[in-house]
Amino acid sequence: MSRRADTVGVVGAGPFGTALASVVAGAGRRVVLWSRDAQVVEQIRRDRVCPRLPQVKLPAAVEVTTDPKVLAREAHLVVLAVASTDARARARELGAVLDGSHLVVHAVGALARGEGAQADVDATTDERVSEVVAQGVPTLRIGVLAGPALPTEMARGQFSSMVVASAFDDVIRETRRLINAPPVLRVYGSHDLIGVELASAMAGAYTIALGLGDGLGLGPGPRAVLITRAIAEARRLGEAAGGDLKTFSGLAGLGNLLVRGVPPSAPDEDPERVADERRRGQGAEYAIGLALARGTLVEDALTSEGARAALAVERLARRLKVRMPMLDMIAAVLNGRLQPKEAARAAADTVAAEE
Amino acid sequence: MADARPLFEAENRLDHFNQDRGRLLAEVERRVMDRRIAAAKLEAESSLEYVINDVCFAETKRLEKGGDAAHVERWRDLSRRLLAMSEPEKEAELRALVAYYCRDVVGNFNPKVYRFITGLAPSLLGFVFSPIASVRDGMRALAQLEERISVDGELDVVRACARRGTLVVTPTHSSNMDSPVIGFGLLAAGLPTVTYGAGKNLFTNPFISFFMRNLGAYRVDRRLRFELYKDVLKEYSTVLLENGYHSLFFPGGTRCRSNVVDKNLKLGLLGTTVTAYRNNLRRGEHDRIYVVPVTINYRLVLEAETLIEDYLAETGKNRYIITDDEFSRIGRILEFVRKMLVHEGSVMVRFGRPMDPFGNDVTDEGDSVDRAGRVIDPASFLRGADGEITDDDQRDGEYTRALGRRLAAAYPRLTVFHATHLGARVLYDAIAAQNGTRDVYRLMRSPKSRLAVPISAVLEGLGALRARLLGNPGWGSEHPRLSGQEDQAVFEDAFRGLSTYHTRRAVARESEMVHVDDVQLIYYYQNRLAHVPPVSAAEAS
Repeated sequence: MSRRADTVGVVGAGPFGTALASVVAGAGRRVVLWSRDAQVVEQIRRDRVCPRLPQVKLPAAVEVTTDPKVLAREAHLVVLAVASTDARARARELGAVLDGSHLVVHAVGALARGEGAQADVDATTDERVSEVVAQGVPTLRIGVLAGPALPTEMARGQFSSMVVASAFDDVIRETRRLINAPPVLRVYGSHDLIGVELASAMAGAYTIALGLGDGLGLGPGPRAVLITRAIAEARRLGEAAGGDLKTFSGLAGLGNLLVRGVPPSAPDEDPERVADERRRGQGAEYAIGLALARGTLVEDALTSEGARAALAVERLARRLKVRMPMLDMIAAVLNGRLQPKEAARAAADTVAAEE
Repeated sequence: MADARPLFEAENRLDHFNQDRGRLLAEVERRVMDRRIAAAKLEAESSLEYVINDVCFAETKRLEKGGDAAHVERWRDLSRRLLAMSEPEKEAELRALVAYYCRDVVGNFNPKVYRFITGLAPSLLGFVFSPIASVRDGMRALAQLEERISVDGELDVVRACARRGTLVVTPTHSSNMDSPVIGFGLLAAGLPTVTYGAGKNLFTNPFISFFMRNLGAYRVDRRLRFELYKDVLKEYSTVLLENGYHSLFFPGGTRCRSNVVDKNLKLGLLGTTVTAYRNNLRRGEHDRIYVVPVTINYRLVLEAETLIEDYLAETGKNRYIITDDEFSRIGRILEFVRKMLVHEGSVMVRFGRPMDPFGNDVTDEGDSVDRAGRVIDPASFLRGADGEITDDDQRDGEYTRALGRRLAAAYPRLTVFHATHLGARVLYDAIAAQNGTRDVYRLMRSPKSRLAVPISAVLEGLGALRARLLGNPGWGSEHPRLSGQEDQAVFEDAFRGLSTYHTRRAVARESEMVHVDDVQLIYYYQNRLAHVPPVSAAEAS
């Protein structure tokens, strides 16, 4: 393999991008990390430390640049590790430097916000990130990387797993070859691009329900019911949308829900983890659920990734005629059509069908 | 109408076809054999014995089913001998089979026939349409024909692409008249002659067969479903494209039974565009290949009655190859032509903007552009990490699926609605509302009294539908001839077509009411607008 074939390009020096670069470089691969923030790039060059994940000392095999042309020239595989709100803009920037030969995998566990400027896109409809990436970059070889891999845990060397999904075998094959870094990171492969993206986004929506349930004081039993019913209805939607049933009980679905639905750590519990959660906005959806249960006004609640996913998936479910009582309730609470306690009562009243 | 560009301006690459044919066939044979021998070495399930046995089994089954006992023995005998054959003998037998199917598929191009037809008039179709008339009558018919068949769309871009590379013309498929109609359309638009795969069943009609055999059509026997035959067919198409022969595929496969704008595309032959492009790049040849979406829009479809019955009877799969439809009867073809000539603009052929083999749009000059409008190198889609052209059938299959999706998305926008479509849709909406269902089977069982619609309601519906179409160009557009016409005129046009052409009258008028006499036919014609959501659903969304 050539130097370019063995190089991973990472877009975004956030906690996940930095942790991934570190783990992959630690496994002997070369990494080119692109950040638009010149100060961050300078600090990494100088100290080998990224301010967004300072506990990690980046290996020398991680090269850092502010020039996307360097990334495109040096790497055949590019991982887009940015926030969902930045995905569209970064994809467009990448489009100017990538060509049809590149393999692009995004690691965005949410839907991208819809854009009104596009003629065929309803401004209120969020899109799967792979669709947004496809509008920005010339290559068709696109995939998604998803799963419950937390940057701090990866940085500490704890084991984690993700799944890469794409319609293209070479995207799956090359991502697994280059990103797999056992024992820290194991990467599974799947052809279910739609399923993995939806499962990942829906996990954010259901996290709100878990926060809501905890906020209302529901015990472990109802919590378990919420989780299993969430997976059941997510599977129904996923199948109707063209995804694979199995995906929703895998790393991207159940895996993501379990890791995101954990109550944020108490400040005195683990400072490093708490700081990490704050940086990643982790717990945001869970916190929204908690706040809703307590009747507190949540600033920007409807624009959070989980809330947007809930509303977008609700519309999708209606279009595909899929019954999703839990998601409907989350959307109704977010829209103010239902009080949290009424939602909990409705959840308890849901007819149990034979499955 | 096609614009005023001179006819015959495009280079007719098929002129060289007969000189090329031996070389092309040899190449097809060589590639198929090389691939089969290589695969046989890799896995037991691809052994030559398996491949030959598969052929014997399929051919025996086909002949037995067709009651052709005389020829069955050949395949049984081969199957028996296979057991005792050495590997070199199997290889020789396979080579003979490949050569046999190559000869079965290969087309012919007779320049004399071509010159005769195009010299007689600017239309192959013209001759087809008046074969028993005198030359003078034929000329008169042809003069009318140009008024009846309109050609429009992105003709300048398609011409530019034809000069720069090889075209793969991909029309929607409604009728067996499509091949001659698109032939006329290409000629009238100053576009080159194409070669195309035509169902072998069409060659049983001696009249049509003569032209098909001599004007570059190759035979596709849809009864032969074994891998070796598909291999030969695809390789033949690939080699033709690599050698710059403009081609035509109907990506919908067979004629669309329901008249819905093609959306479930068959990707088999379409996939040869990527393969041919890749093979050319490997040889250092950078000639482009362009895929051109085209819709053929008939005011009336010759075989409508048979097709929709077939569709509704849910026997479409079993009757994959219809041999007893209207097209098999010369009288019906002539009747169709006669009636078509009465109506101006009876067929509209609309060319869309070409795409590259990966579904990317192209500029006016034929350069590929990505979805952000940046010029890109299509060759890069086939390159690996180090810029080398790589072989990856799975990747190329996905590219072809992407291309299929782009084509399927392009067709609705390119669809042209005649008065018959608009009228049928309005009537169908009205009877659906009256009966509380859009289910065609239920509507077919409705009492006659519930299938009558006031003309005033039809006119109102037409006005609303036409306004919606104007506001949604992505759904297609009404025939340019209808623009500016009053709803009343469109209604009269639709009524004339739907009540007089087919053997069964689809609609009848009684005082101020229109009666739907044939729900099936109304359903068939309205299906052209099946992608246009009913008003209530559209409003709801």
